[in-house]
Amino acid sequence: MDRKLPPPHAAHDGPPKTGPAVSLSDIGVGLAILAAFALVAFNVHSNMTAAGIQPGFGFLTQQAGFDLSETLVPYGASDSYLRAILAGLANTIAVALASLVIACIAGLLLGLLSVSTAPLARFFALAYVELFRNLPKILVLLVIFIAAVNGLPAIRQALVLGPFTISNRAIYLPWLSDDPRNTTLLLASLVLVPAFIWLWAGRAARRQALTGRRLPVLPVAFALFIVVPGVLATALQAPLGLSWPTLEGFSVEGGIALSIQFCTVAVALGLYHGAQIAEVLRGGIEAVPSGQIEAAAALGLRSGQTTRLVVVPQVLRTVVPPLNNQFANLLKNTSISIAVGYSDLMSVAGTAINQTFRPLETMLITMSIYLLLCLVLTGVLNHWSARIRAREGRDGR
Amino acid sequence: MLRSYLAAALACAAGLALTSHAQAGPVFDEVVSCGKLVCLVSPSAPGFSVPDSSGVFQGFNADFCRMAAAAILGDASKADIRGIGFSDSLKSLVSRQAHIASRSVTETGTRSADPGLAFVATTFYDGQGFMVPKALGVKSATELKGATICAEDGSTTLLNIADWFAAHGFEYKVENIADKTARLQAFFAGKCDAYASDMTALAADRRLAKNPDDYELLPEIISAEPLTLVAQPDETLEKAMRWAFQIMLNADELGINSTNVDAAIADLDKQPKAVQRLFAKDGATADMAAKMKLPADWAYQVIKQVGSYGEVFDRHLGPETPFKLKREGSQNASASKGGLMYAYPIR
Repeated sequence: MDRKLPPPHAAHDGPPKTGPAVSLSDIGVGLAILAAFALVAFNVHSNMTAAGIQPGFGFLTQQAGFDLSETLVPYGASDSYLRAILAGLANTIAVALASLVIACIAGLLLGLLSVSTAPLARFFALAYVELFRNLPKILVLLVIFIAAVNGLPAIRQALVLGPFTISNRAIYLPWLSDDPRNTTLLLASLVLVPAFIWLWAGRAARRQALTGRRLPVLPVAFALFIVVPGVLATALQAPLGLSWPTLEGFSVEGGIALSIQFCTVAVALGLYHGAQIAEVLRGGIEAVPSGQIEAAAALGLRSGQTTRLVVVPQVLRTVVPPLNNQFANLLKNTSISIAVGYSDLMSVAGTAINQTFRPLETMLITMSIYLLLCLVLTGVLNHWSARIRAREGRDGR
Repeated sequence: MLRSYLAAALACAAGLALTSHAQAGPVFDEVVSCGKLVCLVSPSAPGFSVPDSSGVFQGFNADFCRMAAAAILGDASKADIRGIGFSDSLKSLVSRQAHIASRSVTETGTRSADPGLAFVATTFYDGQGFMVPKALGVKSATELKGATICAEDGSTTLLNIADWFAAHGFEYKVENIADKTARLQAFFAGKCDAYASDMTALAADRRLAKNPDDYELLPEIISAEPLTLVAQPDETLEKAMRWAFQIMLNADELGINSTNVDAAIADLDKQPKAVQRLFAKDGATADMAAKMKLPADWAYQVIKQVGSYGEVFDRHLGPETPFKLKREGSQNASASKGGLMYAYPIR
């Protein structure tokens, strides 16, 4: 047919060259890059010195003087800039995790719809993906935010739906009453429950490999969710009382608040990246050759087994690298929070720059933090995908 | 004769000081010999200076250009009012392209220290304030304990709020929203109890509400932005401007304005002594005019052609305008009513 032939010289390509690991041109390029960096650094430093600015990070310990709309770590206007930046970082991580969960759920559902046999489902998925892929995310965020603040009731007319109190300021939930023992209980459970589940799952996998018998994993995980906090609560003598949100004066006190800006950023990024993840999944699913599924059927595997044992492993292998990219993008895109008043890292950094006139230092810190976050995230995902591939290779043999 | 006239015209056009004619200050002399006063305002600041349909600047700040022209030249229309951007206006003054600027310049220590600028009289005490929905039932910022405040992200506003609430020992929450539409929508939808910004910005932003009458500005101002008239340094010019402004403040205290000044003068003997000193032919202002080289009836011309301070305020910013700024209870009220507009004795 009209498929392109490989270029003629490709056929003569031998095995990879086995010369020295670093060539002379590599060294030249490296030196040129270093020289460029040195030139920029020298210029910046000499210009700042000429303008009477002494570059430095001493301002980080100075009092910040501004408050943030919400913080996960204790922070007030009398705390330092460093603490303000840490509070912003914690907010960035929180909203990134929330939107990651929403994006994965939306992406999975839409990805499955887009390969469904029902035309209506496929059309819905296509329409959704095209809509969100072709709109700027800041616009999506502003529309959701303005719709939410105008659509939801004001704080004094807050809607009470069972345990939820909903207003255009925040969604309030009952929460463990404010007591250090309760906090310890919560944090310890958050660490210990996953750790125990991980240990048990590893043990179950080794047992299955040795004896072929499966240990129950899911029931044990559920049991751990109840047993570990229970034991901890007894050991700590935690009071465990619930604090309910109630309207007091100007605002709602008690419980915990999910601010509307947090929710809208999480939803906006969740929906936006959900569309992208759906496309990645669709690509991954469609990349599994139909012959594989037919072969599985010929071997007598049921439909569910075909999906679990044949399709999903191959899909995972192709989608993890692009998903990795999506997750890093999502993390960086949380910086649009600034538009609707969620005090993320960028928002705090911007205010710090305006107050300290230390743009260079503050931006360096902010960039390093984003870089580190993304490197950790992609590092974890790459490690995971490498393990999937390794298992694939071993199972394949 | 023609040559010297031509030279004077050229000098006026170029805005150069005619030092050879110096009797009073060089800038003052230039204004008198040219018969016009070049005054810089902001090209578009609703309520303060906006060109009308015939291109003439109208507004609170523009009227202080007219005040200076009425006092020095006896004719408010001889103010040559030009719209120009903020940093350019200060540069123009320093480089002697204009005589004065009346454009919401905040007087600060470093600006005042500049030898090319003379800050003369503060015409408006702006500063950060709060706007609230009337339905909230709050009449003073001191009732905002525990409130949620919307403010621009990254601005000095955030620091002023933090300072103010800390000084009052109040809890509060801040919604620091960068996008202006999102911020105003959040406030109008009741996500915040109050909206913080400069008072003049609040007055303009209130007009964007579906029903501006549902919102009001609280009287408290929590940061200092003294908006001050600026002139090229010239002692005579500065004195003329400072005291013309004082005439407006005194008239304000005495209840004299452009509509009743003629009636007051017709019946001057029955007026309080302070009014007589302002407008009598042998009054204090006539004595001042002789010493400051102003037209003898300068005080009358300022009030007749421009008005008292309260009149100018109400005309452009007051309750009858879209801005609905209240003088009473604010720093712009007269000192006798607890404000900062202090009328010096004219005697």
